[in-house]
Amino acid sequence: MNAVGRFALLAGMTLLALRPAAAEQLVVALSTDNVKISSSFTGTGVTVFGAIERDAGTISRGGVYDVVVVVRGPDETLVTRRKERVAGIWLNRDARTYLDMPSFYAVHSSRPLDEIAPKEALMRYQIGFDNLTFRAREGRPQPGDEVFSEAFVRLKREAGLYRDAPYGVTFPGASVFQTTVDIPANVPVGTYRVSVFLFRDNAMLAASNAAFGIAKTGFEQFTFDLARRNGYFYGLICIALALVTGWLAGVLFRRD
Amino acid sequence: MQIYLPIAELPVNMFLIFGMGAAVGFLSGLFGVGGGFLLTPLLIFSGISPAVAVASTTAQVVASSFSASLTYWRRKLIDFKLAGVLVVAGIVGSTIGVGIFTLLRRTGQLDLIISVCYVTFLGLVGGLMLWESIRSIINTRRGRPAPLRRPGQHGWIHGLPFKMRFKRSKLYVSIVPILAIGIGIGILGSMLGIGGGFILVPALIYILRVPTSIVVGTSLIQMIGTMAVATLLQSGNNHSVDGVLALILMVGGVIGAQFGARLGARVGGEQLRAMLALLVLAVGIRFLVNLVSTPDELFSLATLAGDAR
Repeated sequence: MNAVGRFALLAGMTLLALRPAAAEQLVVALSTDNVKISSSFTGTGVTVFGAIERDAGTISRGGVYDVVVVVRGPDETLVTRRKERVAGIWLNRDARTYLDMPSFYAVHSSRPLDEIAPKEALMRYQIGFDNLTFRAREGRPQPGDEVFSEAFVRLKREAGLYRDAPYGVTFPGASVFQTTVDIPANVPVGTYRVSVFLFRDNAMLAASNAAFGIAKTGFEQFTFDLARRNGYFYGLICIALALVTGWLAGVLFRRD
Repeated sequence: MQIYLPIAELPVNMFLIFGMGAAVGFLSGLFGVGGGFLLTPLLIFSGISPAVAVASTTAQVVASSFSASLTYWRRKLIDFKLAGVLVVAGIVGSTIGVGIFTLLRRTGQLDLIISVCYVTFLGLVGGLMLWESIRSIINTRRGRPAPLRRPGQHGWIHGLPFKMRFKRSKLYVSIVPILAIGIGIGILGSMLGIGGGFILVPALIYILRVPTSIVVGTSLIQMIGTMAVATLLQSGNNHSVDGVLALILMVGGVIGAQFGARLGARVGGEQLRAMLALLVLAVGIRFLVNLVSTPDELFSLATLAGDAR
């Protein structure tokens, strides 16, 4: 081993020694990298497996580990509208446009969130529905904003796109955990980010990220792309389809 | 059997959608109307977004109108010149209609306008039709002959300039009301996802006085042209035509229409008209109830382009 190599090794060991005392590490694996939407897609589940690794130097402390798994779908900007009665008719009046909200958001934890970490920590990492950052395009906060953000979360939950499981993360072994996040059939396509947080005694010890993709496949992908990119051509195909179907029916059921 | 719709982006029960198409097709065959005014609301009430429902029904109307027009074409019951003028006007109308549609989606008022239009037009047309058919049923019962249209009768419509001769319909009439009707139906049809037959047919009979035998075939041609252009524009501007949904509806629709037409041939015309009027009114009232009753959920989510989420 030459001098340079020996120096590099030494430097590496020094760096290792300088790392913070909390030496827990998270190893995360997903049951799939890619969810494919085909014509028979009615939803699926993605299982997040993980292990808490402790190196020899980690001081053994009291208390239990808490794990929070957050799955975020691609961001989208949505308008939340409220109906009001005007002249006897219910119509959309007031609205808030929330920028870059997760289109899908699942938070699974080993215990209810408020028992795991203080509010500030949860807010910093946007863990939990109440701790999502709502940025309204309308700018400055106005009175009555909460009604809209609450309605946003409620509607997303009703659509099955925002979900939580306060006891969803289970520990089959002392330092091994797992949870299965249900993906409903109406999910948007895109990249889904999985963040796993390890807490103990109200403090975050480690975090780890992973990702999986949800994409349409085969015919669904082809049709969707064609409709988006060549809308007029796709329209012509639909018209041709209509004329052929109509003509076939006219010929098959001819009565005169 | 669940099938995933690529544009609507949700799975639906294929047999349910097929059944809806067949049921509406049956009614449209029975009454001789396109059935879009029934199909679009059915799709919306079953959870498909109004934008996709309207655009996909538009494609379905092309299929059912084309299928129905073949019979009239064989019997030479179509005034192609009149239909041509109506189609040109209809294309102008549907271009305007799709433009309004796109704009309304962005401002979040599409559902409201669709509902208000449904209430207004279905209420108006259904009411008039019911009144008219009840009157003629009573007249028939009392043994009085139905009032005949005399060829010499002219309204103010016939005093308008730019007259054109339509040989097949035996008409010599200004093209101004024809264009106005065509544009109006085009706007309504593309905005509401309806062929507009239930408005066009009475308009041609009562305003232009087109002979009844020619009316249906001619209005079918107008619907094919206008709705084909509307499909193209909806697809190009709003990307909201779901080909899979439309195909299921088309197949169900054309099959249902055959059975409807068979039954329709055995039921009296006046009774049919009264039944259709009641059906039209019922759909209109359903929309009215939706508009005025307090909704369970006051809030709604939508993308900036106007897709419901």
